[in-house]
Amino acid sequence: MQKARIPALFFLLPAAVIFLIFFYWPLAQNLYLSFFQWNMVSPQMKFVGIANYLEVLGSMELLKNLGNTLMFIIVLLILNFLLPYLYSYILGHLVKKYNFFYRSALFLPSTISLAVASILFLWIYNPLAGPLSIILSGFGLESPRWFKENILVIIALSTIIGWKVFGYNLIVMLAAMVAVPKEMIEAAKLENASDWLIFKKIILPMTAPTAVYVFTITVVFGLQYVLVPVNMLTQGGPDQGSSNLVYIVYQYGFIFFQTGKAAAFAILTMLAYGAFLLLKNKYLDKRIHYEN
Amino acid sequence: MRTKLDKNILWHLPLILAVFLQLWPIIFMASTSFKDMDQIFTSTLNPLPFPPTLNNYVAVLEDFPFLTYVYNTFFIATLVTVCKIATSVLAAFAFVYYEFKGKETIFNFMLLTFFIPITVLIMPNYLLMSKLGLLNTPWGVILPQIADGMGIFLMRQTIRGIPKPLLEAALLEGAGAFGILTKVVLPLIKPSAIAVTIFFFINSWNEYFWPLLVLQDKENYTLPLALQMFISAEGGSEWGIAMAVAMLTSLLPLLLYLLCQKYILSTFMQSGVKG
Repeated sequence: MQKARIPALFFLLPAAVIFLIFFYWPLAQNLYLSFFQWNMVSPQMKFVGIANYLEVLGSMELLKNLGNTLMFIIVLLILNFLLPYLYSYILGHLVKKYNFFYRSALFLPSTISLAVASILFLWIYNPLAGPLSIILSGFGLESPRWFKENILVIIALSTIIGWKVFGYNLIVMLAAMVAVPKEMIEAAKLENASDWLIFKKIILPMTAPTAVYVFTITVVFGLQYVLVPVNMLTQGGPDQGSSNLVYIVYQYGFIFFQTGKAAAFAILTMLAYGAFLLLKNKYLDKRIHYEN
Repeated sequence: MRTKLDKNILWHLPLILAVFLQLWPIIFMASTSFKDMDQIFTSTLNPLPFPPTLNNYVAVLEDFPFLTYVYNTFFIATLVTVCKIATSVLAAFAFVYYEFKGKETIFNFMLLTFFIPITVLIMPNYLLMSKLGLLNTPWGVILPQIADGMGIFLMRQTIRGIPKPLLEAALLEGAGAFGILTKVVLPLIKPSAIAVTIFFFINSWNEYFWPLLVLQDKENYTLPLALQMFISAEGGSEWGIAMAVAMLTSLLPLLLYLLCQKYILSTFMQSGVKG
Protein backbone atom coordinates (compact mmCIF):
# COMPACT_ATOMS: atom_id res chain seq x y z
CA MET A 1 0.00 0.00 0.00
CA GLN A 2 2.93 2.35 -0.37
CA LYS A 3 1.98 3.79 -3.77
CA ALA A 4 0.23 6.81 -2.27
CA ARG A 5 1.29 10.17 -3.61
CA ILE A 6 1.22 12.03 -0.31
CA PRO A 7 4.26 10.98 1.71
CA ALA A 8 3.94 9.65 5.25
CA LEU A 9 5.89 12.65 6.45
CA PHE A 10 2.94 14.91 5.70
CA PHE A 11 0.84 13.08 8.27
CA LEU A 12 3.60 12.75 10.84
CA LEU A 13 4.90 16.29 10.65
CA PRO A 14 2.41 18.17 12.87
CA ALA A 15 2.92 15.85 15.84
CA ALA A 16 6.65 15.49 15.20
CA VAL A 17 7.24 19.25 15.17
CA ILE A 18 5.40 19.71 18.47
CA PHE A 19 7.27 16.85 20.08
CA LEU A 20 10.65 18.16 18.95
CA ILE A 21 10.04 21.74 20.06
CA PHE A 22 8.16 21.16 23.29
CA PHE A 23 9.41 17.78 24.49
CA TYR A 24 12.86 16.93 23.13
CA TRP A 25 14.43 20.34 22.76
CA PRO A 26 13.59 21.20 26.43
CA LEU A 27 15.56 18.14 27.51
CA ALA A 28 18.68 19.60 25.91
CA GLN A 29 17.96 23.07 27.18
CA ASN A 30 17.44 21.79 30.68
CA LEU A 31 20.84 20.18 30.60
CA TYR A 32 22.32 23.48 29.39
CA LEU A 33 20.63 25.46 32.15
CA SER A 34 21.96 23.09 34.78
CA PHE A 35 25.53 24.29 34.11
CA PHE A 36 24.72 27.93 34.79
CA GLN A 37 23.83 30.14 37.67
CA TRP A 38 20.89 32.30 36.68
CA ASN A 39 17.72 33.84 38.07
CA MET A 40 15.53 33.64 34.94
CA VAL A 41 15.42 37.40 34.35
CA SER A 42 18.99 38.74 34.53
CA PRO A 43 20.61 39.17 31.10
CA GLN A 44 23.74 37.49 32.41
CA MET A 45 24.11 33.77 32.95
CA LYS A 46 27.14 32.63 34.88
CA PHE A 47 28.75 29.37 33.80
CA VAL A 48 29.48 27.30 36.89
CA GLY A 49 30.24 23.85 35.45
CA ILE A 50 28.94 21.06 37.61
CA ALA A 51 28.71 23.21 40.72
CA ASN A 52 24.89 23.01 40.76
CA TYR A 53 25.05 19.23 40.72
CA LEU A 54 27.66 19.12 43.49
CA GLU A 55 25.57 21.46 45.60
CA VAL A 56 22.42 19.41 45.05
CA LEU A 57 24.09 16.05 45.56
CA GLY A 58 25.80 17.16 48.76
CA SER A 59 22.66 18.58 50.34
CA MET A 60 20.48 17.13 53.07
CA GLU A 61 17.63 18.49 50.99
CA LEU A 62 18.16 15.80 48.36
CA LEU A 63 18.00 13.04 50.96
CA LYS A 64 14.86 14.49 52.51
CA ASN A 65 13.15 14.86 49.13
CA LEU A 66 14.26 11.42 48.00
CA GLY A 67 12.84 9.88 51.18
CA ASN A 68 9.53 11.72 50.78
CA THR A 69 9.38 10.73 47.12
CA LEU A 70 9.82 7.07 48.01
CA MET A 71 7.11 7.35 50.64
CA PHE A 72 4.73 8.91 48.11
CA ILE A 73 5.55 6.11 45.67
CA ILE A 74 4.81 3.39 48.24
CA VAL A 75 1.43 4.85 49.24
CA LEU A 76 0.51 5.52 45.61
CA LEU A 77 1.43 1.97 44.61
CA ILE A 78 -0.94 0.62 47.26
CA LEU A 79 -3.81 2.93 46.26
CA ASN A 80 -3.36 3.04 42.52
CA PHE A 81 -1.71 -0.25 41.64
CA LEU A 82 -2.41 -2.92 44.25
CA LEU A 83 -6.04 -2.01 44.93
CA PRO A 84 -7.01 -1.55 41.26
CA TYR A 85 -5.35 -4.90 40.54
CA LEU A 86 -7.39 -6.72 43.18
CA TYR A 87 -10.58 -4.94 42.21
CA SER A 88 -10.08 -5.65 38.53
CA TYR A 89 -9.86 -9.35 39.42
CA ILE A 90 -13.13 -9.14 41.35
CA LEU A 91 -14.84 -7.21 38.55
CA GLY A 92 -13.35 -9.31 35.78
CA HIS A 93 -13.95 -12.77 37.18
CA LEU A 94 -16.04 -12.89 40.33
CA VAL A 95 -18.95 -10.52 39.93
CA LYS A 96 -21.33 -10.29 36.99
CA LYS A 97 -24.31 -8.44 38.38
CA TYR A 98 -24.20 -4.63 38.27
CA ASN A 99 -20.80 -4.94 36.62
CA PHE A 100 -21.19 -1.89 34.38
CA PHE A 101 -22.54 0.19 37.23
CA TYR A 102 -19.47 -0.62 39.33
CA ARG A 103 -17.05 0.23 36.53
CA SER A 104 -18.79 3.43 35.73
CA ALA A 105 -19.15 4.61 39.33
CA LEU A 106 -15.57 3.75 40.24
CA PHE A 107 -14.26 5.63 37.20
CA LEU A 108 -16.27 8.77 37.93
CA PRO A 109 -13.67 10.62 40.09
CA SER A 110 -11.18 10.35 37.20
CA THR A 111 -13.17 13.06 35.45
CA ILE A 112 -12.75 15.51 38.34
CA SER A 113 -9.97 18.10 38.30
CA LEU A 114 -7.15 17.58 40.78
CA ALA A 115 -7.66 21.21 41.74
CA VAL A 116 -11.26 20.40 42.67
CA ALA A 117 -10.17 17.23 44.45
CA SER A 118 -7.58 19.20 46.43
CA ILE A 119 -10.03 21.79 47.68
CA LEU A 120 -12.61 19.07 48.41
CA PHE A 121 -10.21 17.01 50.49
CA LEU A 122 -8.90 20.10 52.26
CA TRP A 123 -12.43 20.45 53.61
CA ILE A 124 -12.91 16.71 54.24
CA TYR A 125 -9.65 16.58 56.22
CA ASN A 126 -10.27 19.87 58.05
CA PRO A 127 -9.31 18.99 61.65
CA LEU A 128 -11.75 21.35 63.34
CA ALA A 129 -15.06 21.04 61.54
CA GLY A 130 -14.51 18.82 58.51
CA PRO A 131 -16.63 15.70 58.00
CA LEU A 132 -13.78 13.31 58.75
CA SER A 133 -13.10 14.97 62.08
CA ILE A 134 -16.79 14.61 62.96
CA ILE A 135 -16.76 10.93 62.01
CA LEU A 136 -13.60 10.40 64.06
CA SER A 137 -15.05 12.20 67.05
CA GLY A 138 -18.01 9.82 66.84
CA PHE A 139 -15.48 7.13 67.72
CA GLY A 140 -14.04 9.30 70.46
CA LEU A 141 -10.97 10.12 68.40
CA GLU A 142 -9.44 13.51 67.83
CA SER A 143 -8.65 14.40 64.24
CA PRO A 144 -4.96 14.90 63.55
CA ARG A 145 -3.94 17.98 61.58
CA TRP A 146 -3.52 15.97 58.41
CA PHE A 147 -1.64 18.51 56.34
CA LYS A 148 0.54 19.78 59.18
CA GLU A 149 2.16 16.58 60.44
CA ASN A 150 5.09 14.73 58.95
CA ILE A 151 4.29 11.45 57.17
CA LEU A 152 0.53 12.01 57.71
CA VAL A 153 0.76 14.80 55.17
CA ILE A 154 2.16 12.39 52.59
CA ILE A 155 -0.61 9.87 53.24
CA ALA A 156 -3.32 12.54 53.13
CA LEU A 157 -2.00 14.04 49.87
CA SER A 158 -1.65 10.59 48.34
CA THR A 159 -5.26 9.74 49.08
CA ILE A 160 -6.29 12.69 46.91
CA ILE A 161 -4.37 11.19 43.99
CA GLY A 162 -5.55 7.72 44.99
CA TRP A 163 -9.16 8.83 44.81
CA LYS A 164 -8.78 10.37 41.39
CA VAL A 165 -6.62 7.73 39.69
CA PHE A 166 -7.97 4.48 41.20
CA GLY A 167 -10.83 4.13 38.74
CA TYR A 168 -8.75 4.89 35.67
CA ASN A 169 -6.11 2.34 36.57
CA LEU A 170 -8.84 -0.15 37.42
CA ILE A 171 -10.34 0.17 33.94
CA VAL A 172 -6.96 -0.27 32.24
CA MET A 173 -6.22 -3.32 34.39
CA LEU A 174 -9.69 -4.74 33.82
CA ALA A 175 -9.03 -4.91 30.07
CA ALA A 176 -6.28 -7.45 30.72
CA MET A 177 -8.38 -9.34 33.26
CA VAL A 178 -11.32 -9.89 30.93
CA ALA A 179 -8.94 -10.90 28.14
CA VAL A 180 -7.98 -14.02 30.10
CA PRO A 181 -10.03 -16.75 28.38
CA LYS A 182 -12.87 -17.95 30.59
CA GLU A 183 -12.57 -21.49 29.16
CA MET A 184 -9.05 -21.73 30.51
CA ILE A 185 -10.25 -20.97 34.02
CA GLU A 186 -13.24 -23.32 33.68
CA ALA A 187 -10.93 -26.11 32.54
CA ALA A 188 -8.67 -25.54 35.53
CA LYS A 189 -11.69 -25.58 37.83
CA LEU A 190 -12.81 -28.93 36.37
CA GLU A 191 -9.45 -30.29 37.37
CA ASN A 192 -10.09 -29.06 40.89
CA ALA A 193 -7.42 -26.38 40.88
CA SER A 194 -7.80 -24.07 43.87
CA ASP A 195 -8.68 -20.41 43.36
CA TRP A 196 -5.22 -19.46 44.50
CA LEU A 197 -3.61 -21.80 41.99
CA ILE A 198 -5.77 -20.43 39.19
CA PHE A 199 -4.78 -16.93 40.18
CA LYS A 200 -1.08 -17.75 40.36
CA LYS A 201 -0.79 -19.94 37.27
CA ILE A 202 -3.27 -18.31 34.89
CA ILE A 203 -4.39 -14.83 35.92
CA LEU A 204 -1.08 -13.48 37.16
CA PRO A 205 1.09 -14.37 34.15
CA MET A 206 -1.55 -13.46 31.59
CA THR A 207 -2.18 -10.02 33.03
CA ALA A 208 1.49 -9.29 33.77
CA PRO A 209 2.21 -6.93 30.82
CA THR A 210 -0.70 -4.64 31.67
CA ALA A 211 0.12 -4.84 35.37
CA VAL A 212 3.63 -3.63 34.57
CA TYR A 213 2.17 -0.78 32.56
CA VAL A 214 -0.15 0.27 35.39
CA PHE A 215 2.72 -0.03 37.85
CA THR A 216 4.76 2.28 35.63
CA ILE A 217 2.12 4.96 35.13
CA THR A 218 1.36 4.87 38.85
CA VAL A 219 4.95 5.79 39.67
CA VAL A 220 5.66 8.12 36.75
CA PHE A 221 2.38 10.05 36.76
CA GLY A 222 1.57 9.70 40.43
CA LEU A 223 4.44 11.98 41.36
CA GLN A 224 3.45 14.55 38.77
CA TYR A 225 -0.17 14.52 39.97
CA VAL A 226 1.05 15.07 43.53
CA LEU A 227 2.35 18.43 42.35
CA VAL A 228 -1.18 19.88 42.28
CA PRO A 229 -2.30 19.24 45.88
CA VAL A 230 1.20 19.95 47.19
CA ASN A 231 1.21 23.33 45.51
CA MET A 232 -2.37 24.16 46.45
CA LEU A 233 -2.42 22.88 50.01
CA THR A 234 1.02 22.55 51.59
CA GLN A 235 3.67 24.23 49.39
CA GLY A 236 5.97 21.39 50.37
CA GLY A 237 5.38 21.84 54.10
CA PRO A 238 5.33 21.27 56.96
CA ASP A 239 9.07 21.91 57.01
CA GLN A 240 9.58 20.15 53.65
CA GLY A 241 7.51 17.24 54.94
CA SER A 242 5.60 16.92 51.66
CA SER A 243 8.27 18.25 49.31
CA ASN A 244 9.50 15.78 46.72
CA LEU A 245 11.74 15.50 43.68
CA VAL A 246 9.07 16.87 41.37
CA TYR A 247 7.87 19.73 43.54
CA ILE A 248 11.38 20.92 44.38
CA VAL A 249 12.12 21.61 40.71
CA TYR A 250 9.12 23.91 40.55
CA GLN A 251 10.08 25.53 43.85
CA TYR A 252 13.68 26.28 42.85
CA GLY A 253 12.70 27.40 39.37
CA PHE A 254 9.60 29.47 39.97
CA ILE A 255 9.69 30.50 43.62
CA PHE A 256 13.38 30.84 44.48
CA PHE A 257 14.39 31.73 40.89
CA GLN A 258 17.48 29.52 40.96
CA THR A 259 17.22 27.99 37.51
CA GLY A 260 20.58 26.22 37.73
CA LYS A 261 19.68 24.24 40.81
CA ALA A 262 16.16 23.62 39.52
CA ALA A 263 17.59 22.28 36.27
CA ALA A 264 20.08 20.08 38.12
CA PHE A 265 17.24 18.64 40.21
CA ALA A 266 15.20 18.13 37.05
CA ILE A 267 18.00 16.26 35.32
CA LEU A 268 18.53 14.06 38.37
CA THR A 269 14.79 13.32 38.51
CA MET A 270 14.88 12.52 34.82
CA LEU A 271 17.78 10.11 35.38
CA ALA A 272 15.89 8.46 38.23
CA TYR A 273 12.84 8.06 35.97
CA GLY A 274 15.05 6.70 33.20
CA ALA A 275 16.70 4.21 35.56
CA PHE A 276 13.28 3.15 36.77
CA LEU A 277 12.03 2.57 33.21
CA LEU A 278 15.18 0.63 32.29
CA LEU A 279 14.92 -1.56 35.38
CA LYS A 280 11.29 -2.12 34.57
CA ASN A 281 12.18 -3.17 31.02
CA LYS A 282 14.89 -5.48 32.22
CA TYR A 283 13.15 -7.22 35.08
CA LEU A 284 9.44 -6.78 34.74
CA ASP A 285 8.52 -6.72 31.08
CA LYS A 286 7.54 -10.13 29.88
CA ARG A 287 7.80 -8.78 26.34
CA ILE A 288 4.64 -10.35 25.11
CA HIS A 289 4.17 -9.13 21.59
CA TYR A 290 1.03 -9.35 19.56
CA GLU A 291 1.61 -8.79 15.88
CA ASN A 292 -1.53 -6.93 14.87
CA MET B 1 -24.84 -24.03 43.58
CA ARG B 2 -26.03 -22.39 46.75
CA THR B 3 -22.53 -21.84 48.17
CA LYS B 4 -21.38 -20.36 44.89
CA LEU B 5 -24.16 -17.82 44.96
CA ASP B 6 -23.34 -16.78 48.52
CA LYS B 7 -19.69 -16.43 47.69
CA ASN B 8 -20.47 -14.11 44.80
CA ILE B 9 -22.70 -11.95 46.93
CA LEU B 10 -19.84 -11.59 49.34
CA TRP B 11 -17.68 -10.10 46.58
CA HIS B 12 -20.14 -7.26 46.22
CA LEU B 13 -19.19 -5.97 49.65
CA PRO B 14 -15.73 -4.62 48.78
CA LEU B 15 -17.19 -3.22 45.56
CA ILE B 16 -19.95 -1.40 47.41
CA LEU B 17 -17.41 -0.06 49.88
CA ALA B 18 -15.23 1.24 47.03
CA VAL B 19 -18.18 2.79 45.21
CA PHE B 20 -19.15 4.52 48.43
CA LEU B 21 -15.64 5.90 48.97
CA GLN B 22 -15.41 7.04 45.35
CA LEU B 23 -18.82 8.70 45.20
CA TRP B 24 -19.19 10.09 48.69
CA PRO B 25 -16.78 13.03 48.20
CA ILE B 26 -18.71 14.07 45.08
CA ILE B 27 -22.07 13.80 46.83
CA PHE B 28 -20.61 15.65 49.77
CA MET B 29 -19.31 18.41 47.50
CA ALA B 30 -22.73 18.76 45.90
CA SER B 31 -24.67 18.83 49.17
CA THR B 32 -22.30 21.28 50.86
CA SER B 33 -22.70 23.67 47.95
CA PHE B 34 -26.43 23.88 48.75
CA LYS B 35 -25.99 24.53 52.45
CA ASP B 36 -25.85 27.87 54.19
CA MET B 37 -23.08 28.65 56.65
CA ASP B 38 -25.03 27.34 59.65
CA GLN B 39 -25.94 24.05 58.01
CA ILE B 40 -22.34 23.52 56.94
CA PHE B 41 -21.16 23.52 60.53
CA THR B 42 -24.19 22.08 62.30
CA SER B 43 -25.27 19.33 59.90
CA THR B 44 -21.98 18.69 58.17
CA LEU B 45 -22.65 15.05 57.35
CA ASN B 46 -26.26 15.42 56.27
CA PRO B 47 -26.31 14.80 52.51
CA LEU B 48 -29.72 16.46 52.04
CA PRO B 49 -29.62 20.05 53.23
CA PHE B 50 -33.00 21.38 54.19
CA PRO B 51 -33.98 23.91 53.11
CA PRO B 52 -31.43 23.90 50.27
CA THR B 53 -30.04 27.33 49.45
CA LEU B 54 -28.75 28.75 46.20
CA ASN B 55 -26.94 31.58 47.97
CA ASN B 56 -23.50 30.10 47.38
CA TYR B 57 -24.10 29.92 43.64
CA VAL B 58 -25.50 33.42 43.58
CA ALA B 59 -22.44 34.67 45.45
CA VAL B 60 -20.12 32.98 42.95
CA LEU B 61 -21.89 34.48 39.96
CA GLU B 62 -22.18 37.94 41.48
CA ASP B 63 -18.85 38.43 43.22
CA PHE B 64 -16.50 36.74 40.79
CA PRO B 65 -15.96 37.07 37.05
CA PHE B 66 -17.12 33.51 36.87
CA LEU B 67 -18.30 33.53 33.27
CA THR B 68 -14.92 34.89 32.18
CA TYR B 69 -13.27 31.86 33.78
CA VAL B 70 -15.73 29.55 32.06
CA TYR B 71 -15.00 31.19 28.73
CA ASN B 72 -11.20 31.03 29.25
CA THR B 73 -11.35 27.38 30.21
CA PHE B 74 -13.65 26.48 27.36
CA PHE B 75 -11.54 28.31 24.79
CA ILE B 76 -8.30 26.63 25.85
CA ALA B 77 -9.81 23.16 26.28
CA THR B 78 -11.56 23.28 22.91
CA LEU B 79 -8.52 24.37 20.93
CA VAL B 80 -6.19 21.95 22.69
CA THR B 81 -8.62 19.09 22.10
CA VAL B 82 -9.29 19.80 18.44
CA CYS B 83 -5.58 20.13 17.62
CA LYS B 84 -4.61 17.11 19.71
CA ILE B 85 -7.11 14.76 18.12
CA ALA B 86 -6.16 16.02 14.64
CA THR B 87 -2.41 15.50 15.12
CA SER B 88 -3.08 12.13 16.78
CA VAL B 89 -5.30 10.78 14.01
CA LEU B 90 -2.96 12.02 11.26
CA ALA B 91 0.13 10.44 12.85
CA ALA B 92 -1.69 7.24 13.78
CA PHE B 93 -2.93 6.90 10.20
CA ALA B 94 0.62 7.22 8.88
CA PHE B 95 1.80 4.48 11.22
CA VAL B 96 -0.83 2.04 9.99
CA TYR B 97 -1.16 2.99 6.33
CA TYR B 98 2.48 3.48 5.33
CA GLU B 99 5.57 1.35 5.40
CA PHE B 100 8.70 3.43 5.83
CA LYS B 101 12.17 3.23 7.23
CA GLY B 102 12.52 3.76 10.96
CA LYS B 103 8.76 3.49 11.51
CA GLU B 104 9.11 1.64 14.80
CA THR B 105 11.74 4.07 16.10
CA ILE B 106 9.72 7.15 15.22
CA PHE B 107 6.65 5.62 16.83
CA ASN B 108 8.58 4.89 20.01
CA PHE B 109 9.97 8.41 20.09
CA MET B 110 6.47 9.79 19.89
CA LEU B 111 5.10 7.42 22.52
CA LEU B 112 8.04 8.15 24.82
CA THR B 113 6.97 11.81 25.12
CA PHE B 114 4.13 10.47 27.23
CA PHE B 115 6.67 9.46 29.86
CA ILE B 116 8.88 12.57 29.89
CA PRO B 117 8.36 14.07 33.34
CA ILE B 118 6.78 17.51 33.42
CA THR B 119 9.63 18.73 35.63
CA VAL B 120 12.17 18.82 32.81
CA LEU B 121 9.70 20.55 30.52
CA ILE B 122 8.34 23.39 32.62
CA MET B 123 11.34 25.73 32.74
CA PRO B 124 12.46 25.50 29.10
CA ASN B 125 8.89 25.74 27.83
CA TYR B 126 8.19 28.66 30.14
CA LEU B 127 11.27 30.48 28.85
CA LEU B 128 10.28 29.73 25.27
CA MET B 129 6.78 31.08 25.81
CA SER B 130 8.29 34.15 27.41
CA LYS B 131 10.53 34.69 24.36
CA LEU B 132 7.57 34.30 22.04
CA GLY B 133 5.60 36.81 24.10
CA LEU B 134 2.91 34.23 24.79
CA LEU B 135 3.01 34.31 28.57
CA ASN B 136 -0.28 35.34 30.08
CA THR B 137 -2.16 34.39 26.90
CA PRO B 138 -4.26 31.30 26.17
CA TRP B 139 -1.92 30.52 23.26
CA GLY B 140 0.95 29.98 25.65
CA VAL B 141 -1.13 27.32 27.41
CA ILE B 142 -2.35 25.73 24.20
CA LEU B 143 0.73 25.52 21.99
CA PRO B 144 2.91 22.96 23.83
CA GLN B 145 -0.06 20.63 24.28
CA ILE B 146 -1.35 20.10 20.76
CA ALA B 147 0.24 16.70 20.24
CA ASP B 148 -0.09 13.70 22.51
CA GLY B 149 1.81 10.41 22.56
CA MET B 150 -1.04 8.53 24.21
CA GLY B 151 -3.52 9.89 21.68
CA ILE B 152 -1.37 8.59 18.82
CA PHE B 153 -1.10 5.21 20.52
CA LEU B 154 -4.84 4.87 21.11
CA MET B 155 -5.74 6.00 17.61
CA ARG B 156 -3.21 3.64 16.09
CA GLN B 157 -4.75 0.76 18.02
CA THR B 158 -8.16 1.67 16.64
CA ILE B 159 -7.09 2.21 13.03
CA ARG B 160 -5.26 -1.12 13.10
CA GLY B 161 -8.57 -2.77 13.80
CA ILE B 162 -9.92 -1.75 10.38
CA PRO B 163 -9.82 -4.76 8.04
CA LYS B 164 -7.03 -4.32 5.47
CA PRO B 165 -9.25 -5.32 2.50
CA LEU B 166 -11.40 -2.25 3.12
CA LEU B 167 -8.38 0.04 2.70
CA GLU B 168 -7.12 -1.91 -0.29
CA ALA B 169 -10.49 -1.70 -2.00
CA ALA B 170 -10.51 2.07 -1.60
CA LEU B 171 -6.99 2.19 -3.01
CA LEU B 172 -8.04 0.20 -6.05
CA GLU B 173 -10.84 2.64 -6.65
CA GLY B 174 -8.17 5.28 -7.02
CA ALA B 175 -8.57 7.03 -3.66
CA GLY B 176 -5.50 8.90 -2.43
CA ALA B 177 -4.15 8.64 1.09
CA PHE B 178 -6.12 11.64 2.21
CA GLY B 179 -9.29 10.35 0.65
CA ILE B 180 -8.87 7.01 2.37
CA LEU B 181 -8.36 8.75 5.69
CA THR B 182 -11.44 10.95 5.41
CA LYS B 183 -13.80 8.60 3.55
CA VAL B 184 -12.89 5.17 4.92
CA VAL B 185 -10.93 5.49 8.15
CA LEU B 186 -12.65 8.39 9.90
CA PRO B 187 -16.20 7.04 9.70
CA LEU B 188 -15.04 3.68 11.02
CA ILE B 189 -13.09 5.00 14.00
CA LYS B 190 -15.72 7.52 15.03
CA PRO B 191 -16.71 5.95 18.39
CA SER B 192 -13.15 5.71 19.71
CA ALA B 193 -12.19 9.05 18.23
CA ILE B 194 -15.11 10.67 20.04
CA ALA B 195 -14.19 8.93 23.29
CA VAL B 196 -10.58 10.07 23.08
CA THR B 197 -11.71 13.57 22.12
CA ILE B 198 -13.94 13.79 25.15
CA PHE B 199 -11.23 12.50 27.41
CA PHE B 200 -8.76 15.05 26.01
CA PHE B 201 -11.32 17.77 26.59
CA ILE B 202 -11.98 16.72 30.18
CA ASN B 203 -8.26 16.57 30.95
CA SER B 204 -7.58 19.93 29.39
CA TRP B 205 -10.56 21.49 31.15
CA ASN B 206 -9.24 20.14 34.45
CA GLU B 207 -5.61 21.07 33.95
CA TYR B 208 -3.95 23.06 36.69
CA PHE B 209 -0.20 23.14 36.53
CA TRP B 210 0.86 24.44 33.13
CA PRO B 211 -1.86 27.14 33.06
CA LEU B 212 -0.69 28.17 36.54
CA LEU B 213 2.76 28.93 35.14
CA VAL B 214 1.62 30.66 31.97
CA LEU B 215 -1.41 32.66 33.12
CA GLN B 216 -0.55 35.35 35.63
CA ASP B 217 -3.38 37.86 35.58
CA LYS B 218 -6.58 36.86 37.30
CA GLU B 219 -8.74 37.79 34.32
CA ASN B 220 -6.96 35.12 32.25
CA TYR B 221 -7.43 32.35 34.80
CA THR B 222 -9.08 29.05 34.00
CA LEU B 223 -11.54 27.48 36.46
CA PRO B 224 -9.03 25.18 38.22
CA LEU B 225 -6.76 28.19 38.82
CA ALA B 226 -9.64 30.33 40.06
CA LEU B 227 -10.40 27.64 42.65
CA GLN B 228 -7.17 28.52 44.41
CA MET B 229 -8.62 31.88 45.36
CA PHE B 230 -11.19 30.17 47.56
CA ILE B 231 -8.64 28.60 49.86
CA SER B 232 -7.61 30.98 52.58
CA ALA B 233 -4.56 30.17 54.61
CA GLU B 234 -6.08 28.28 57.54
CA GLY B 235 -8.98 26.61 55.82
CA GLY B 236 -11.19 29.69 55.81
CA SER B 237 -14.91 29.57 56.41
CA GLU B 238 -16.38 30.06 52.94
CA TRP B 239 -16.73 26.34 52.33
CA GLY B 240 -20.16 26.67 50.77
CA ILE B 241 -18.88 29.05 48.12
CA ALA B 242 -15.75 26.97 47.55
CA MET B 243 -17.87 23.86 47.01
CA ALA B 244 -20.17 25.75 44.66
CA VAL B 245 -17.18 26.73 42.50
CA ALA B 246 -15.88 23.17 42.70
CA MET B 247 -19.28 21.91 41.54
CA LEU B 248 -19.47 24.37 38.67
CA THR B 249 -15.93 23.42 37.61
CA SER B 250 -16.82 19.72 37.60
CA LEU B 251 -20.23 19.99 35.98
CA LEU B 252 -19.23 19.84 32.31
CA PRO B 253 -16.67 17.01 32.70
CA LEU B 254 -19.19 14.97 34.71
CA LEU B 255 -21.96 15.51 32.15
CA LEU B 256 -19.70 14.62 29.23
CA TYR B 257 -18.59 11.49 31.01
CA LEU B 258 -22.11 10.40 31.93
CA LEU B 259 -23.23 10.88 28.33
CA CYS B 260 -20.39 8.88 26.79
CA GLN B 261 -19.28 6.55 29.55
CA LYS B 262 -19.66 3.43 27.44
CA TYR B 263 -17.30 4.66 24.72
CA ILE B 264 -14.84 6.16 27.15
CA LEU B 265 -14.55 3.06 29.30
CA SER B 266 -14.11 0.71 26.35
CA THR B 267 -11.54 2.95 24.66
CA PHE B 268 -9.43 3.35 27.76
CA MET B 269 -9.56 -0.34 28.41
CA GLN B 270 -7.30 -0.59 25.35
CA SER B 271 -4.66 1.81 26.57
CA GLY B 272 -2.76 -0.78 28.59
CA VAL B 273 -2.78 -3.42 25.88
CA LYS B 274 0.51 -3.77 24.11
CA GLY B 275 1.05 -4.41 20.45
